[in-house]
Amino acid sequence: MPDSSPIYARSQSQWPSKLQSGIVLAVTTLTHPPGRFGPRPRTIGLIQLTDGSKVMGHILGSSMIGQRVRPRLQLSCVTGEGLRLYDVAYEPLAAKPALRTQPFPGYVLALTGPSGVGKSTISNLLMQVSAPYVVKVPILTTRGRKSGDDGEYRYVSKEKFQELMGKDALVATAKIPSHTDDRWYGYRRADIERIWRQGRIPVVITEMHLLQGLAHSYGRRSILSFGLLPPGKSRRAMLSHLLRRLRTRGRETEEHIADRLKNAERDLAFFDERKDLFDHFLVNEDLDVVIEMVKKNVPGLAEA
Amino acid sequence: MNQPIHLIGSGQTRFGEWWGKSLKDLMDEAANAALTGTPCTALDIDMIVVANMLAEVTNEQAHLGSMASSILPHHPPALRVESACGSGAFALHTACAFLESGRAQTVLVIGVEKMTDVSADDVSSALMGAADSEKDRPSGLTFPGIFGLIASRYMHEYGLTREDLSLVSAVHHRQAMENPFAQFRSSITPETVSRSPLIAHPLRLLDCSPVSDGAAAVVLSTKFVSPLRLAASQTSTDHLSVVDRLSLTSFPATQDACERALQESELHLADISALETHDCFSIAALINLEDLGFADPGDSIRVYRRLYEGETGPLSVNRSGGLKACGHPVSATGIKQLIDVGKQLTTTGDRFGMAHNFGGACATCAIHILENLDARSIL
Repeated sequence: MPDSSPIYARSQSQWPSKLQSGIVLAVTTLTHPPGRFGPRPRTIGLIQLTDGSKVMGHILGSSMIGQRVRPRLQLSCVTGEGLRLYDVAYEPLAAKPALRTQPFPGYVLALTGPSGVGKSTISNLLMQVSAPYVVKVPILTTRGRKSGDDGEYRYVSKEKFQELMGKDALVATAKIPSHTDDRWYGYRRADIERIWRQGRIPVVITEMHLLQGLAHSYGRRSILSFGLLPPGKSRRAMLSHLLRRLRTRGRETEEHIADRLKNAERDLAFFDERKDLFDHFLVNEDLDVVIEMVKKNVPGLAEA
Repeated sequence: MNQPIHLIGSGQTRFGEWWGKSLKDLMDEAANAALTGTPCTALDIDMIVVANMLAEVTNEQAHLGSMASSILPHHPPALRVESACGSGAFALHTACAFLESGRAQTVLVIGVEKMTDVSADDVSSALMGAADSEKDRPSGLTFPGIFGLIASRYMHEYGLTREDLSLVSAVHHRQAMENPFAQFRSSITPETVSRSPLIAHPLRLLDCSPVSDGAAAVVLSTKFVSPLRLAASQTSTDHLSVVDRLSLTSFPATQDACERALQESELHLADISALETHDCFSIAALINLEDLGFADPGDSIRVYRRLYEGETGPLSVNRSGGLKACGHPVSATGIKQLIDVGKQLTTTGDRFGMAHNFGGACATCAIHILENLDARSIL
């Protein structure tokens, strides 16, 4: 395998059936696993899943025979060609080591794009079609409640936000400049790690600063990152498309729209500058196509 | 066997790290040794079967039939057989089929493997070809890992201790001291085994057979006779991946091949005096004894305890030193086992011996029973 894309693709088709809890039948720890899995010892178990089938799987942390485990999708290895291979790993349910001590506890599905590109629509649709596997991470913000908000925000005061930052409770923060007031946005560590503990995939609808913050906190390898672009052959065409959408949405004043457009311009430039922060770029021309592309590229969601 | 097949010649290289020798050099050396002292000449060989698993990966060489044929002056027809670590015994089985069918009368069977030309990581990856590439490998598993899983389950089910398991390699190393062809002719204590570096928990370095270069060859014939006759050649297969097996602590392919070999030879297990089993890892040596029927499930460690104490019983087990101490150039092993069984029967005057060779985690298994006809005449 594993440098062979067709084998990888076939292996990917097995993920939905592997996403079950199970019991460890046998376990071993390889002191020196094959090179592509990195230098750390790797624990592998033969696991009997709930439906009676058996799989060979990577066990996160240490485990013992008879222990119950639950599935978690995560980056398995990076091949010599740079192909990032995801696979279902299993997490022991009892005597679980603290997440913070693990170098790579799970991964975050990130959707990044300028305002108006359709991030919220896509994520809402993704939640509908893949509800058991993905959970949206709430965004902490210092801005006030707005009529179009649909529950993805947690509203806190600036003081509270600063306090959480001081306690290292936020994994990523960003100050978004605005013509009226600077607003802070961020993700709470506890929110993301709670989703991991449930064996699910945290989804963040994010922007460039927060994406960089996440990559900094958890490591670039822990982010499965999608860049969403508006349709259009040139940056100008893309921006004009965004402007149309923001105006059609009718949630903001022209001043706010001008702010957003300025930020969007920077976001589009950011896509070019920091290509390394993205695994896939998707053009939001047809919502169904985008959802299919996301599902296809997210381990375990293809059959969801 | 539907007609008598005799082992008329045998020979091997010493197993070890032969950096200066090529795949062909090793084949040549083993074939020459096998042909020396046979009642036939090289020109009587009308077919060659060559066993090899890894040459494409470890030696950048395929087409071994042609290479093997070129070592004899008359370039007889030749073909290659691959069945992972069981390739050697499957080549013997293939040769038997040609001999029994009458398509050949005298066959040279060569097993050759040259594993030290590449890095440990590369050879480990190549050996994983013997497992299921889509069920076993993606998790990061290696062969020591597969047998680590098997050992962990065996210890869980039967309460085998680390100290007990260490007796297996200690016995094999001691027995190899008398074998001039063994890779390791040094004695080790069970404590040394228990303290050796961890490879795949609970297996340690000295639980694992080494990476080796080597070749072994035999000449089998229906035309020429010798005191050694093949009494049975049987094979069996199981699911390729251990994921699909009902049990990790028993190998049904061994049980099946053994039962059919005993039927073919019309023998009972008690008739077997010399046994060479496929101890690629120490835990495999224990499971083999149970599957062959020489010990009850979970009880085979008693055999090794007795061997460690120096007790000699009616059965010799891996007298050569087994794969652990002789070395394990994978495709040469099955043929080397038959050679060792023959030597033991000739030395002791016992009548029947068994060679048990498997591929992967016993996804394929071949068993040969050899009869010492001189022992029959004494009786």
